[in-house]
Amino acid sequence: MNAASPVAPWNVRARVRGWLTSRLPRTDTQLLTQGNVYILPTRAGWMFALTLIVLLVASVNYQLNLGYVLTFLLAGSGIVSMHITHGTLRGLTLHLRPVAPAFAASPAVLDVVMSSPSSARFGVGLRLLDAPASTLAWTNVPAGGQSTAHVSFVPATRGRHDVPTLSAETRFPLGLFRAWTVWRPLAQVLVYPRIEADAPALPAARPAAGGPTQARRSEGGEVEGVRAYRRGDPLKLIAWKKAAQALETGADLVSRDTSTSARQELWLDWTACGSMSAEDRLSRLTAWTLAADRADADYGLLLPGLEIEPGDGDSQRARCLEALGLWH
Amino acid sequence: MNASAAAAVRRAVPNWPGWHRLPREARDTLFLLAVIAWTVLPHASHLPAWAIAMTAIVLVWRGRLALANAALPGRWVLVCVLVVAIGMTWWTYRTLLGKEPGVTLAVALMALKTLELRARRDAFVVFFLGFFIILTHFLYSQSLPVAVAMLVSVWGLLTAVVLAHMPVGQPSLKQAGGLAARTALLGAPVMALLFLLFPRIGPLWGVPQDGISKTGLSNTMKMGSMAEVASDDSIAMRIRFDGPAPAPAEMYFRGPVLTRFDGIEWTPLGLPFALSGLPARPPALETRGRPIGYEVTLEPLRLSSVPLLEATTEVASIDGYRVVPRDDLQWLADKPVLERLRFKATASTRFVLGAPRRVGEIQDSLALPDGFNPRTVAWARAFRADPSRRAATPTQLAQALFQHIRTQGYSYTLAPGDYGRNGIDEFWLDRKEGFCEHFATAFVVVMRAAGVPARIVTGYQGTDLPPAEGYYVVRQSSAHAWAEFWQSGTGWVRADPTGAVAPDRIGRSTRLAPQPGFVAGTLDAMNPELFAQLRSAWEVINNRWNQWVLNYSRGQQLDVLKQMGFVAPTWEDLASLLVGTLVGLALAGAIWAWLDRHRVDPWVRQLERMKRALRALGVAAAPHDAPRALAARIRENLGAAGEPLAALLDALEARRYSRAAVRRPDPRMTRDFTQQARRLRPRTT
Repeated sequence: MNAASPVAPWNVRARVRGWLTSRLPRTDTQLLTQGNVYILPTRAGWMFALTLIVLLVASVNYQLNLGYVLTFLLAGSGIVSMHITHGTLRGLTLHLRPVAPAFAASPAVLDVVMSSPSSARFGVGLRLLDAPASTLAWTNVPAGGQSTAHVSFVPATRGRHDVPTLSAETRFPLGLFRAWTVWRPLAQVLVYPRIEADAPALPAARPAAGGPTQARRSEGGEVEGVRAYRRGDPLKLIAWKKAAQALETGADLVSRDTSTSARQELWLDWTACGSMSAEDRLSRLTAWTLAADRADADYGLLLPGLEIEPGDGDSQRARCLEALGLWH
Repeated sequence: MNASAAAAVRRAVPNWPGWHRLPREARDTLFLLAVIAWTVLPHASHLPAWAIAMTAIVLVWRGRLALANAALPGRWVLVCVLVVAIGMTWWTYRTLLGKEPGVTLAVALMALKTLELRARRDAFVVFFLGFFIILTHFLYSQSLPVAVAMLVSVWGLLTAVVLAHMPVGQPSLKQAGGLAARTALLGAPVMALLFLLFPRIGPLWGVPQDGISKTGLSNTMKMGSMAEVASDDSIAMRIRFDGPAPAPAEMYFRGPVLTRFDGIEWTPLGLPFALSGLPARPPALETRGRPIGYEVTLEPLRLSSVPLLEATTEVASIDGYRVVPRDDLQWLADKPVLERLRFKATASTRFVLGAPRRVGEIQDSLALPDGFNPRTVAWARAFRADPSRRAATPTQLAQALFQHIRTQGYSYTLAPGDYGRNGIDEFWLDRKEGFCEHFATAFVVVMRAAGVPARIVTGYQGTDLPPAEGYYVVRQSSAHAWAEFWQSGTGWVRADPTGAVAPDRIGRSTRLAPQPGFVAGTLDAMNPELFAQLRSAWEVINNRWNQWVLNYSRGQQLDVLKQMGFVAPTWEDLASLLVGTLVGLALAGAIWAWLDRHRVDPWVRQLERMKRALRALGVAAAPHDAPRALAARIRENLGAAGEPLAALLDALEARRYSRAAVRRPDPRMTRDFTQQARRLRPRTT
C-alpha cells in the first residue's frame, strides 16, 4: 500500500497528488494551521447554494422581504458554517503514538491522539489518504482534552515501512463544506512476514547441548503431570486419554506438562522448511516462532547468515520476528 | 418536548421508552418529523383536507417505523403514493402550476421524502425542501407571528442537520440546538448587511398578482373584501403638506373608480393603467380656493392607480413612471408601482368634476345586472316613487338616503359576517350591519335603481393624527369606499354614506377595531388595563415590524445611504457598497489567514522565545533542546545568577508533561523569563 506503487504516466491526477503529498514534511506531531487545512464545498454545499439562488429569485419576484431575511439568514449561516468547519480542524494537534509492529497481510493499527487546546471539536474523521470515505474513524475531541482515533491498514510486504499518509476531515456543523488535512507521519512501522496459514507442526526439539545436565529423553520429555491445554500446544503434547475424560465432563483438553523436563532446544531452521521460496520460508518460520512462543519453549532461529541463540519470552519473540521481518 | 406532548405520545405509543432512552437513530428521526410537522402546520388552513390528512398519516407512519426500528417501505409504495398525491392535486386545482398546487405538492413531497430517509443525501433533500416550504408561508403572510414560527422551523432544520454531522455518541438535542443557534446567530450580521444593502429590484418576470397575499386597494371590489384591509396597519403612504393641511374630513385619497357591477364584483371602466402612446384624457375639473402643494411617499401598492388627494391637479414627473390623470379624476401610472416613490403634487380640495369625455359613461353608471338584489331595486323604485320625492334632485335623494341610514337602525361594524348572492338585499333590508363598502355599494345600487347615475370610488380616507414630524401617515386600515352620483348641471358629487352611520369614521384614522378573538376578549374582561397595555405594546412591535422589515424597500435603502453621507444615492451605489463591504470582509479574512498560516504550537512558540532570550545571554540553545537540558546548561554557565531562569525552565518542563499540557502555555511564565533574562544581560556583557 505504502510501497510506492508505480503510477501510470497517464494518470495525471494521481501523479499530481503524489507530487503534492511528497512535498509534505514528515512529522509525528502535526499542528493543524491555516497552512495545512484545506476546505472546499461539498456536493450538498453546491446544492445549498442553488437553493439559496432559487429562494432569492422567489423573494425578488414576489417582493418578499421575509424571503430576503430567510435567504440571507441561511447564507450567513452557511458562511459561518464554513468558518466553523475550518475551525474544527484548525488548532487541533494530531499525534501518532508509537506504532506496534504488525504482520504482513494482517491489519496494523495506528493510534492517533487528537488534542484540542481550546474548544470542543465534533465529528472529526480520520482515514488513510487512499482509503474510501466509508473507512473514516469518527471521534469527538473534548474542549482542552484529547481523544484517540484508530485507523488500520494492511501492509502487503514485510520490512520497515513508512506509515501511510493519513487524512483527517470534518464536515461539521452543516455538511456544506469539507475541511481536510493531509498528514505524513514520520514514524515507520516494522512489518513481520505474513503468518503462514496452517503451518506444519513445530520441528522436534533437541536436548540443549551443554545445557543443564538433566539430559533426558527427547519428544516432549517425561510425563510428569498434566495441565490445561494452552493454545499452541503441539498435538503430541496432548494427553488424549485424559483429554477424552476431561472433555466428557465439559472441561478443556489436557496437555502433558513438560515444564519440569530437561531443557530442550528448538531450532527454527531455514533449511528445515523444504523447498519453498524465500518469502514462504519466512512465513513458515514466523508461524513457527509464534507457535514456539505460545508453547513456551526455548527456541532459536537459524537464517542464512544469521543465528539467534535460543531463548524465550517476549524479547526473544520480538528479536526473532524482527530478524524475520528485516532479513534479506 | 413539553409535558402534555409527552403524555400524548405515551398514550399513542404504549411502549414509549421515554425521550432520553430512545436509540439515537429513532430520536433524530422523530425530532426531524416534529420539525417537519411544525413547518407544514401553518399551511393547514389553506391546503386541501386530503393533503393535510396524507401528510399527517405519512408522518405518524414514519414515526412508528422509527420507534419500531422497522424497515422503510419499498420504492414502489412511494411511487404509488406520489402518483396519488399528484393526481389529487390535479383533481383539486385542475393544474399543477401556480401557488396553491405548488405548495400542496411541496408538502406532499416533503412528507414522502421522510419515508426515504436512508442516506445523508436524503436528509439534505428534506432540509432544502423545508426551506422552500418556509418561503411559501411568506406568500400568505409576513406577519410577526408567522416570522417567529418560521424562525423556529429554520432553527429546527439546522439542528437536524447539525445532529446528522455529529456521528459519534449520542449528542443531546440541547447541544445540537445550541450549536445550530450559534451558527445562525453568528450569521446574523451577514444577514443584516445583505438585507440592508442588497439592491431591491423589481420582479424579474411577470407581475406576481396571485402569488402574494396583499391587503390594500385593488382594481376590483367584492362584498367583504375590505374587511381584511381594515386590520392591516401597514403604511400605504406618507403625506407632507407644504402649507397648512386640509381638514381631516377633506382628506379623501382617490384610487380606483369602480363603475361596472356584475352582481358580485365591482370593476372599473377602461384599462386599469395608463396606456403609453394614447393621449391622456384629463378630467373636466374646476377648482376653487388655494392650491395645496404636498409631497407623497407612496409605498408599493402593486397597483397602477396612484391614490392622490382629491382633487389633484398636477403631479411632478416621477422617474421611471408616466403618471397621467384620467377623466374620472384617477391618476394612473403606466405600470403597477412596485417600489417606493416620492414625488410632489398639487391639489385643491374644493372642486367640481365635470362630465366624462367618453360618451356613454353616464349610461354605464346606471346599469344594474339583471337578477341580482331584486328587493333593493324594488325598494329604491318605491322610495323614488314616493310622492314627496317625485321631484327631488339627485342631491335631495342622497340626503333622503342618508336620513334613512341614520334613522333606520343601520350599524357600522367590521365583522358583519358573510353575505350571500343577493348581498345588498340582505344588507340593506335585513341585517343592516356593515362597513364602508356595504354602505357605498348599497347606496350606489339604490341610486341607480332610482335612476341616478352613481359609481363607487375606492381609496383612503383620513390619516394618523397628529402628524409625526410633519408627515401625515395613511395606513392600509384607512382604505375606504365611498360613492359619487351625477347631478346634472353640477357634475359628479361625492356622497359618503358611511359618514351618515359612523361620522367618527370620517376624518379619523382610529377605526373600529375588528372584534377581538376569544382569548383577547376574555383577557379584556378580566383585566382591561393589562389588556390595553399588552395591546398597545403589541401594536408598537407590530408597527415597527411593518416599518422596518416588511416595508424596507429601495426608497429606505437609499435613505440609509443618504444618512451615510451619499448625496444622491442610486442603486448602483448600493450595489457597489455591498460588493465593497463583502470584498473588504473577504480581504480581511484572507489577511488574517495569511498571518495565521505561520502559527506554530503555542508551547513551541513559548520555548522559542525563551531560547532567543538565552542566546542573547550567550547561552547556546539548539532547536532540539528540551527545557530540562537548557536548565542544566544555565546552571553550568551562569551559576547561581541563572537559577531563577533554570527554575522557570524546570517548571515549564513539569507543566509540559502534566495535565496542564492540554491547555495553552502560561504567558506570565514567558514574561517572567524574558524579564529575568534582560536583568542578567548587562552583567554578562
